[in-house]
Amino acid sequence: MSESKEELNPATQFRELYDQEYRSVYRSIRAVVLDAAAAEDLTQETFVRAYRARDRYTPTAPPGAWLRRIGINLAISYLRRQKLARFLPARLYVAPDRRDYDRAEARDVVTKALTALSPKLRAAVILHYYDGLTREEIASVLGVPAGTVASRIAKAVAIMRKATGSDQDWEQERSSNEGALRGR
Amino acid sequence: MKVPYVEDKPTQGGSAIPSEDDLGRMIRTTVDNWSPRRGPDWSDLMVRIAGTGPPAWLLYTTASAALVIILVAAYLVGSALQLGALAPQAIPGHIQP
Repeated sequence: MSESKEELNPATQFRELYDQEYRSVYRSIRAVVLDAAAAEDLTQETFVRAYRARDRYTPTAPPGAWLRRIGINLAISYLRRQKLARFLPARLYVAPDRRDYDRAEARDVVTKALTALSPKLRAAVILHYYDGLTREEIASVLGVPAGTVASRIAKAVAIMRKATGSDQDWEQERSSNEGALRGR
Repeated sequence: MKVPYVEDKPTQGGSAIPSEDDLGRMIRTTVDNWSPRRGPDWSDLMVRIAGTGPPAWLLYTTASAALVIILVAAYLVGSALQLGALAPQAIPGHIQP
């Protein structure tokens, strides 16, 4: 993890663990689903699952990484269900109202770049750059080999750099055009 | 329409594509600003834990097993009582060539 925190035992200190890790688990999940409301719901669900499994926790990984494994897997399953739900007849599937989210996030360059990635690439990026996990730790969280993690991060970085760069180019072009119009 | 050329600085400072380190910093800064609207809510968590039923895999396994038992029982009862298609079928005695 990025900060050094006291390692709490989920079996006996679950309440403290909840208060300590809630925000960072929320942020990791939100980076995968890119939806603030769904991320809050999935964060609570993560802790419900963790609470049920707290007696089975083995300290091979820090509790934060254990929570992220549950949260990221829940987030990826959620997105898979959303994708499948689109195949339902229109009356059975009600698309989530994303207008508020789109309005609020439209100007955010990083969010736009994350949108260009698949959920699995997003998970690798956020665990590496935000949570500061090593490739081996990410491999353990995602249940894939460390080599796969390395290739996912490299691919994600290439896509994000391109997306961010083109976005900044566009912003510069727009400000230049606005400057030209103001100069008339 | 004639639009005057305005010298801007799109190429100053090199490429607009950020380095990997810059990208990492941008991600951390953006994600650090994401805060949940409600924050940790322990009482809601306890309500969810109390309100959740058995896990889905247990529910589906039990339902599948119950269905198999019902079908086997129906077959055995139907055979024993010679009901419908499970009763012995009459074989026609005189078949015309």
